[in-house]
Amino acid sequence: MNRINQTFKELEKEKKTALITFVVAGDPALDTTEEIILAKIEGGADIIEMGIPFSDPLADGPVIQASASRSLKSGTTIKAIFEMARNIRKKTEIPLVFLVYYNMILQYGTKRFINECYGIIDGLIIPDLPFEEQKELIADLDQNQTALIPLIAPTSKNRIKDILENHKEHGFVYCVTTMGVTGIDVTFHKDLETYLRQVKEVSQIPVCAGFGVKDKEDVRRLSGLVDGVIIGSAIVNQIDAQGFNKESLRIFIEELKK
Amino acid sequence: MPKPKIKICGIQSDEEVLIMNREKPEYIGFVFAESKRKVDAKIVCDLKKALDKHIKTVGVFADQPPSEVLNIAKICNLDVIQLHGRESINDIKKIKEQYDKEIWKSIAVKEKKDLQKAFDFDQNSTILLDSFSEQAKGGTGYCFDWNAAKNFSESRNYVLAGGLTPDNIVEAIKKLQPAIVDVSSGVETGGKKDQKKVKEFIRRVRTMKTSSYFLEFGGQFVPESLMNPLKELEKQYEAYKDDQAFKDEYLYYLKEYVGRPSPLYYAKNLTRHFNGAKIYLKREDLNHTGAHKINNVIGQLLLAKKMGKKKVIAETGAGMHGVATATGASLFNMECIVYMGEEDIKRQEINVFKMRLLGATVVTVSSGSRTLKDATNEAIRSWVANAEDTFYVIGSVVGPHPYPTMVRDFQKIIGEEVKKQIAEKEGRQPDVIVACVGGGSNAMGIFYPYLDLPDTKLIGVEAAGKGIETHEHASAFAKGRVGVLHGMKTYLLQDQDGQILPAHSVSAGLDYPGTGPEHAALFASNKATYTSITDDEAIEAFYLLTKIEGIIPALESSHAIAEGGKIAATLSKDAIIVINLSGRGDKDIHTVAELERSQTNEQN
Repeated sequence: MNRINQTFKELEKEKKTALITFVVAGDPALDTTEEIILAKIEGGADIIEMGIPFSDPLADGPVIQASASRSLKSGTTIKAIFEMARNIRKKTEIPLVFLVYYNMILQYGTKRFINECYGIIDGLIIPDLPFEEQKELIADLDQNQTALIPLIAPTSKNRIKDILENHKEHGFVYCVTTMGVTGIDVTFHKDLETYLRQVKEVSQIPVCAGFGVKDKEDVRRLSGLVDGVIIGSAIVNQIDAQGFNKESLRIFIEELKK
Repeated sequence: MPKPKIKICGIQSDEEVLIMNREKPEYIGFVFAESKRKVDAKIVCDLKKALDKHIKTVGVFADQPPSEVLNIAKICNLDVIQLHGRESINDIKKIKEQYDKEIWKSIAVKEKKDLQKAFDFDQNSTILLDSFSEQAKGGTGYCFDWNAAKNFSESRNYVLAGGLTPDNIVEAIKKLQPAIVDVSSGVETGGKKDQKKVKEFIRRVRTMKTSSYFLEFGGQFVPESLMNPLKELEKQYEAYKDDQAFKDEYLYYLKEYVGRPSPLYYAKNLTRHFNGAKIYLKREDLNHTGAHKINNVIGQLLLAKKMGKKKVIAETGAGMHGVATATGASLFNMECIVYMGEEDIKRQEINVFKMRLLGATVVTVSSGSRTLKDATNEAIRSWVANAEDTFYVIGSVVGPHPYPTMVRDFQKIIGEEVKKQIAEKEGRQPDVIVACVGGGSNAMGIFYPYLDLPDTKLIGVEAAGKGIETHEHASAFAKGRVGVLHGMKTYLLQDQDGQILPAHSVSAGLDYPGTGPEHAALFASNKATYTSITDDEAIEAFYLLTKIEGIIPALESSHAIAEGGKIAATLSKDAIIVINLSGRGDKDIHTVAELERSQTNEQN
């Protein structure tokens, strides 16, 4: 079984909500990323989402944009990210998920990219690949090894069923909680509860919510509604504002977990 | 790609002519070859008397002597001669010499290699693909294996025949993208044309949803949040684009407010200067707000109004699209926000001031390369957040479907006017059309109506900046690879990892790392040619046109002038070339003055 689903199975037994934490690979440098990830695991993160920096991150707000551009300035390449991921995989069995814009996969070569994921990376979140454009990738992808994580938005409505059509066994569903890009200055969509409940009803895989999750309060509010909560900009911001400090990051994550 | 035209074949009676007059296919066919639907010249002359004059007539022949074909064609005044047998290239030449109209040559397809035969015939004759049959020379009523012809439309426009019916026509078009579809028995009942079937066949073709792809280019690579807003836009656009009242309103504003039709000006001095082909300039610079951008803005804002949206956002590079959108928003009383790169705001002060005067909010974009690419990112992000009440007015043939199609449709009036104007002035169509390409909306607008006229060469001009051998240019076709940006799959300037590279051009409007997906398809299928012009060459053309014609062109359009001049010089004096003068240069005075100043300083 895919590490993601193994993790959710265990959490379900303990009736716990998964905490999925985000980091842009290579901000400020790749060796720091590895330390950040290890600190998060110590703090109790259940799944690690790693962003591959892209020059034009359409779905991201200013915090993650700035993080990606710092990473690119430091010379981060996909090759080096895979190298680091393989390193981390040697140390932990925590599920690792990439957030990657589609162009990066295309240019690396879809098959080559997928092959390097197998065994290391358990899921792919591709924010600019709606289900209509997924055919090519899915044809090549063994989702038991690396699951394609579907995204759903508050405006998806009639699309929810079609979106989930190819996702009945592996990975989880990523529900975007705001109309807009990632960030901390945003508010949850007005119909949040109804919308998440609707997805829960249809989905056969765990449902997680993210975008605009700022603090413990937000995590608690979402925990009752979904199987996992994704927190990104707030962590990137915490590290950026204070400089990376293993101990304070660990405590920050621990607090969110409570 | 345009929807295919329709030919209903095998018309034999007055009743059938009446059905054709009501349903209006583009072509009807009379069979002069051996067939159960055979007619003769006398019958056809009689039938034609009652036929709607807009419907073109096709005569179908098979292995008849050229003299007989010519005789019948002349008597019946046929618009098209369709040769459905084993006619040779020589036969076609003989007929063409004496009858200067369209010729269609059929090829019977059994397997993929049969398509090779098409390349024996030059682009002057249209190819018709039909099913192969041992017994008959056509009219078999059966489909051939469509997989055999799957990519044929990339190499040339063609007519698809063989077993088409109202039930399979949509699938056939999607799979094969033919230019014309030819049907006969598929719309008959008991050997006669059945009005219901004819009507249904035509309805299915004409109401087909526009594909989100141009060959493999285009698509909708956007965050899920935008998918339903895009579907809604697509639905509304599909509904209004053929709505007569909507079209009338659009044309009303283009005429009365924009000042269309824009003149097609014979540039005598420019022609003399290059001492070659006759050069005509399509004067989009004379439009209200000074460029072609307003054509598209009027269309999109009218659509926004129909959709009940009161807020509009736009991205802008040179500021022309921003000014046009701000202008339209002021005309239709809408709130307007324009996203513009910090770098471009510096280069285009006057346009920024104009937008603010017109009541728009100009948002400075300081991310990435701080130019059009980043302004587009920011506009899309803002649209993601506000899609529920905001209309995004994209300024070029870029972005996710339906934008590239919609913007092209709102710009194709440029080429449609040229077609009429040049016919009036010269009695024929131009040999070459030249337009600059950033995203490519002015080029797509003038090219599109010419896609079915292979004799007119289409040339798109990208910005070569400081030279395509340097890293500072905007030539996506010369140096880019296929990738995904701004919701579309197209040619992009990018590094090995797929990071988008900053483009460079002296003209802010061409400073874009990609091109529209339809251009990518035209490039990949060789239906248009793409070249590039450096900053220096464009500036030289800017001075030249200003000095000898008294027209100050936009720096973007100066690229087209430079390329047009180069081509004109290589052509004979009876050749005709049309250059799309997409905008006026007032906005660039500042840039050019700066350049002069820095050159003077260098010399001192």
